[in-house]
Amino acid sequence: MVAEETAPQAGPARSIEGVGISCQSVNAGYLGSHVLQEVSFTIDKPGIYVVLGPNGSGKTTLFRTLSGILRPYQGNVLIDGVPIDRQQSRNRLHYLSHADGLPEGLTVREALAVYARVERATSTDIDRVLDLLGIRELSGHFLSQLSAGQKKRVSVARVFLNDRAIYLLDEPTASLDPKVAREIRSVILDLSREKIVLYSSHNLFEAREIGRYVLVLKEGRLALFDRIENLRGSHFVVGVRVLDPSEYLMGWTREGDYFLRELPGPEGVPALIRDLESHGVQIRELREMNNPLEDLFT
Amino acid sequence: MGGLAVFTSDRLKGTLEYFMAYGISPRRLFLNFLIASLVLVTIVLSVAVGVGVGLYLARGNSFTPGLAIALGLYAVPMSFASAAFATTMGMYWSTLSSPRTGLNSPIGLAPLIGIFPPVATLFIVAALGVSGTTTSVTTFYGIAVAVMALVVVVVVLLLAMINRFLRRERLLSPA
Repeated sequence: MVAEETAPQAGPARSIEGVGISCQSVNAGYLGSHVLQEVSFTIDKPGIYVVLGPNGSGKTTLFRTLSGILRPYQGNVLIDGVPIDRQQSRNRLHYLSHADGLPEGLTVREALAVYARVERATSTDIDRVLDLLGIRELSGHFLSQLSAGQKKRVSVARVFLNDRAIYLLDEPTASLDPKVAREIRSVILDLSREKIVLYSSHNLFEAREIGRYVLVLKEGRLALFDRIENLRGSHFVVGVRVLDPSEYLMGWTREGDYFLRELPGPEGVPALIRDLESHGVQIRELREMNNPLEDLFT
Repeated sequence: MGGLAVFTSDRLKGTLEYFMAYGISPRRLFLNFLIASLVLVTIVLSVAVGVGVGLYLARGNSFTPGLAIALGLYAVPMSFASAAFATTMGMYWSTLSSPRTGLNSPIGLAPLIGIFPPVATLFIVAALGVSGTTTSVTTFYGIAVAVMALVVVVVVLLLAMINRFLRRERLLSPA
C-alpha cells in the first residue's frame, strides 16, 4: 500500500475554511531516539481520521508531536499554517492523552475546574460536559474513588470544555465498557461533522465503524493514508447464520454459528443470497467476517 | 514535601503532559510547583511560629531582639531555603529517574534533602570552631545567611538550566 501525502479529495466533506493540520517530513521521538520518521500528511477536512498501527509503531508519539508536547528533530507541524510551538496554534486544538492526567486528591468537579481555568471555560461548561458524558452523579466523588472507566469519562469530558477546531484523541475509548464506549463514539461522531478528529484505537471494528479516513503507522513511518471505504482486504469472507442448518451447507467451513464463504468481493453478496434461497436456506443473518483493516497489521 | 508529592503524582499520571499541550513550558511548570511548595511552607510556618511564639510568651517570656533575629535571620528564611532546595532537587530527581511500581522516591527522601542547608550550616560552624561569644553569634548568622544564599543560587541555577538538563519528554507519562 502506498502512502499518500494528502487526504483524497472525493467525498461529501469540504475543507474547513482556514483550518488544517499539516505534518511535514517530521522526525520525532524521545531523548534522541527517532520513533517517527519522515511522516508527512495534510488534513483540512472535517471527519474522523483513525490512526492505526501495532504497538510501538509511533501512534502516541505522533499525537504528542502534533500537540506540541514533543518537538520534532526535523520537519514541521503546522496548525492553520502556523507552527505548533506558537500559542496561537495550541489554542486551536484539544489533546486527549492515553493517560487520564487527572490530579489526584480532587473531586470530579474540582478536577474539571482546574482544566476549565486553563481553558477559560465557565462553571456552565463544566455542568454541560458532566451531562454530556453522563457523569453528573460522580461530580462530588473523589477521583481516587472512581473506576478506570469512570476516570476515562472524566478525562474525555475535559476535551469538551471548550470548542476547538482540531481534536487529537489518543485511545479515547480504552478501558470503557461497550455501552459507554458506544456513547462516547457517538459524541465524537457528532463532533466530527464540523471538526477534524484524529483518533487512535486498537479496535479495528471501532475504527471501521466511525472512521472516514485511516492513517496507518508502521515502524514510525506513515504506511497508508486513505479513505477507509477504499480499503479492500485481500479476501472477503461472509458468515451466514441460518434458522435451520440445511444439507446444502454441510461442506462449508464453520465458525461458531456462522457458515463461511469466501467471495471475490462485496459485489458477490446478492448472488450468494440468491443461491442460498434457491437451495431453501433460510438466512437469519449475513455479515462480513473479516475486517480489511486487519490486513494493515500484517 | 507536599508540592513534590503532587509533582511526582502528576508526572506519572500524565497531568504535566496536558499542561505542556496547553503550551506551558517545563520551566514554568517547575517554577509553579516551587511556588506552590513555598506557599505551603508559608502556611505551615505561620501556624508553627505563631503557636510556638504564642506559647513562649504565654509562659511569661518576653519577645527579645535576640528571638526576633533568630526567627528573622535563621528559622524562617532557612525553612524557605530548605523547602526550595528539597523541592527543586526532588523534582530533578523525580524527572531524571525512571518510575518503579510501588516506589515513591524521592518523596520519602525529601526531608533528608531538606535538612541539608541547616546541617551544612552546623558543619561549617563546627569546622570553624565558633563558640558562644557575641562575635560567634554574629559569625553563626553570617554563615547561615551565606548557606541560604548559596542554596538560593543553586535553586535559581537549576531552574535556569532546566531546558539543558531536563528534556520535556522526561515529564511525560509512561507510554
